[in-house]
Amino acid sequence: MGNDDQTWADPGALFQIEEPTAPSRRSGRTPGRGIGIDLGTTHSLVALAPRGEAPRELPDAEGRALLPSVVSYAGADVVVGWGAMGQRVEAPERVLSSVKRFMGRGAAEIDFEHPYRVVEPGEGGSGVMRFDVGEGRRVTPVEVSAEILRVLAARAEAELGEPVAGAVITVPAYFDDAQRQATKDAGRIAGLTVYRLLAEPTAAALAYGLDRGGQGLFAVYDLGGGTFDISILRLRDGVFQVLATGGDSALGGDDFDRALAAHLLAAAGVDAPDPRQREEARVEARRAKEALTDAERCVVTLGRSGLSEHVLTTEALEGILEPIARRTLGPCRLALKDAGVRAQELDGVVLVGGSTRVPLVRRLVESTFKQPPLADIDPDKVVAYGAAVQADILSGSEREGVTLLDVVPLSLGLETMGGIVEKIIPRNATIPIGARQVFTNYSEKQTGLVVHVVQGERELASDCRSLARFELKGLPRLPPSMARIEVTFQLDADALLTVTARELMTGVKQTVEVKPTHGLSEAEVDALVMDSLEHAQDDFDARNLAEARVELGRVVLAVRTAVQEVGDLPGLLPAPEREAIEAELRRADAAMGPEGPQEHRAINAVREQLERVSEGFARRRMERALRSGMSGKSLSEIESALADEADLEARRGSHDPEMTTP
Amino acid sequence: MAVASPSPSDHFARLGLPRTYAVDRDALEAAYLERARASHPDRFVGASSGEHRAAMERSAALNEGYRVLRDPVRRAEYLCALRGVDVDSSDPKTGAPAMDQAFLMEMIERREEIEQARGAGADALEQLRARVDDELDEALDEAVVQLEQERVAEAARALVRRRYLQRIVDEIDQHLEP
Repeated sequence: MGNDDQTWADPGALFQIEEPTAPSRRSGRTPGRGIGIDLGTTHSLVALAPRGEAPRELPDAEGRALLPSVVSYAGADVVVGWGAMGQRVEAPERVLSSVKRFMGRGAAEIDFEHPYRVVEPGEGGSGVMRFDVGEGRRVTPVEVSAEILRVLAARAEAELGEPVAGAVITVPAYFDDAQRQATKDAGRIAGLTVYRLLAEPTAAALAYGLDRGGQGLFAVYDLGGGTFDISILRLRDGVFQVLATGGDSALGGDDFDRALAAHLLAAAGVDAPDPRQREEARVEARRAKEALTDAERCVVTLGRSGLSEHVLTTEALEGILEPIARRTLGPCRLALKDAGVRAQELDGVVLVGGSTRVPLVRRLVESTFKQPPLADIDPDKVVAYGAAVQADILSGSEREGVTLLDVVPLSLGLETMGGIVEKIIPRNATIPIGARQVFTNYSEKQTGLVVHVVQGERELASDCRSLARFELKGLPRLPPSMARIEVTFQLDADALLTVTARELMTGVKQTVEVKPTHGLSEAEVDALVMDSLEHAQDDFDARNLAEARVELGRVVLAVRTAVQEVGDLPGLLPAPEREAIEAELRRADAAMGPEGPQEHRAINAVREQLERVSEGFARRRMERALRSGMSGKSLSEIESALADEADLEARRGSHDPEMTTP
Repeated sequence: MAVASPSPSDHFARLGLPRTYAVDRDALEAAYLERARASHPDRFVGASSGEHRAAMERSAALNEGYRVLRDPVRRAEYLCALRGVDVDSSDPKTGAPAMDQAFLMEMIERREEIEQARGAGADALEQLRARVDDELDEALDEAVVQLEQERVAEAARALVRRRYLQRIVDEIDQHLEP
């Protein structure tokens, strides 16, 4: 078997820490510059809650906050959102929507209807599927999602007037490792530092919980376009704890539309609709569904299928939707059971997702949870609001936050003899978490062990999601059952998995980074990140300029403060040198003003000059700090003086490469 | 310069609780939530990768400790393991005690009981389940008494018995909820 995509790395590390390799070199904790993104199946949304402010969504130039999660490859340029939707009826196979349902999936796992040409992975490539969008162009679901994220990030950047430092991106709680990894990869390709992947229900509960202050048990019922999630959460002592979560990652409002579209096409007498007829039926089905939220009846016409003035009543609609809506109730009862909570004990049931506007869904939720659901925050926006609040906390803002303890939605295990799954980490375990299991050899000739990592609740590995398969090699030759191979699973706060294996007799330890079978390889992600760098030169120029200005501002402040504090001491700063420094400080002020250069290299040159001119002064301050240590200064004063100097030195050092590269 | 204190070696110490079977649920919850808040990796965004890793490992150990200690059965099994008998291991010296022939025969008969109850209908299955449920509680109570008297081998035996019974209950449940 091939081992090409496995990585043997740092044997001492239990966790693989992913350093942000995205373009933003200095991003990280920058208070107020974190954004929350709800990357939805049908719509996406970006929200901000800078420095403790209430969350607000960011609209486009026409005032529309929701961005349809639709990407068109029909023309020369990639079009995202409303513009892409307009091209869908004419070129249905080149305009991609509901791509979230394909995230982290292999071509063979796509068991629902869609109008796209899906390409199986080729020989030697990674297992990720691609859409053939015509003219030889093939794109992965990850790249399509990155296009959506890029548009939203640009919206936030325009609003902030500064680069985005990091993002919290929401995922359905029910997403498995492969789907989460795909989402994080999309964020990286879009040039974002992903602070955290946050479960959508947790985000929604955060938006509500903070409003209501304090304590409580909540259920979050999230029926989005393509996914259904149910979570039970408890807020106590500043900790939001997910007690249980469940759902169905291939069930959503799209299924309502499809069922209704099928009903309409049947009414039109069309047995084998072409892609355009199907698309028209789906658009009309959605319109009818929305109309019937308030009205008792509506009229539907399908021009391409010859259906005119078809009358649809609420009763008929609910007859079609009810079997689908009822599929959400089993997971609800299971989640209550897993959480050990009775419906009556809940303090609130939160509705998330546009599909919860359907009156039938609200009635079913009310009867299952024995109380009317809460819907005072727009169900389309509540997830992004929660993500924005969490992003603000993670950006370093002073804000009264809660700690979010998420859980792993599906059990993780290993395939053992006979294809049986040995569960290593149970579903609903709070993350991060680690667990280990010891395996042994069955013959002396065995020097390797195939490790097949699966995720799911079923007994047989073939019924679970295959996450990764790799072989541990180089085991010592030992009599049967004497080898002790300890396999450790580690899940980080994003529920992403690392596996460590160690042969206990010899102590040989190997860390294997689990790359999902149907995911992009690290190299492919890196290539796509580089690709996006080339296409986003303008963004980077703006980012570099902003960063250069911040750096210059820091140096100016440091030098100016030093001149004011110790510049008058004898011998420390001769008058001509002081004049030169002050002239450079004035130049720096001008460079940072509105008339200054709009290009980062020019700003860096000014800073370089200021640092050069003030270098002698800095050296003398350092010497003085050392001398004063010998003449009875307190240790802390010396340390603080040295630390200041070292700080300046370090900053100067870090700029050298930029100064020497034109 | 702050030196990180060595992490406590067992779940009880990690959560600041005495190493006994009896655990005050409120104290466990409060201790867990306080520590979970302090050590969650979200608090270390932007910190060095070493600090971030340390937070992740601390959180993972804490979450595992909470999972074990809040569950009466896992807690008893864990106390056994701390005292030298690990019922999860098959090691002849320190692993789960071997059960005698009579016990294994009894379990085979219990399996047959399930088949009979299935034939007799859902009510019979429910009755059987209730009976085995009581036995599960008895086995755990027995293990706790033995643990309190520091008779670890006997405690482990009761816990292994409990595991066999648990499998029977799981099997009944599968038949009850198709």
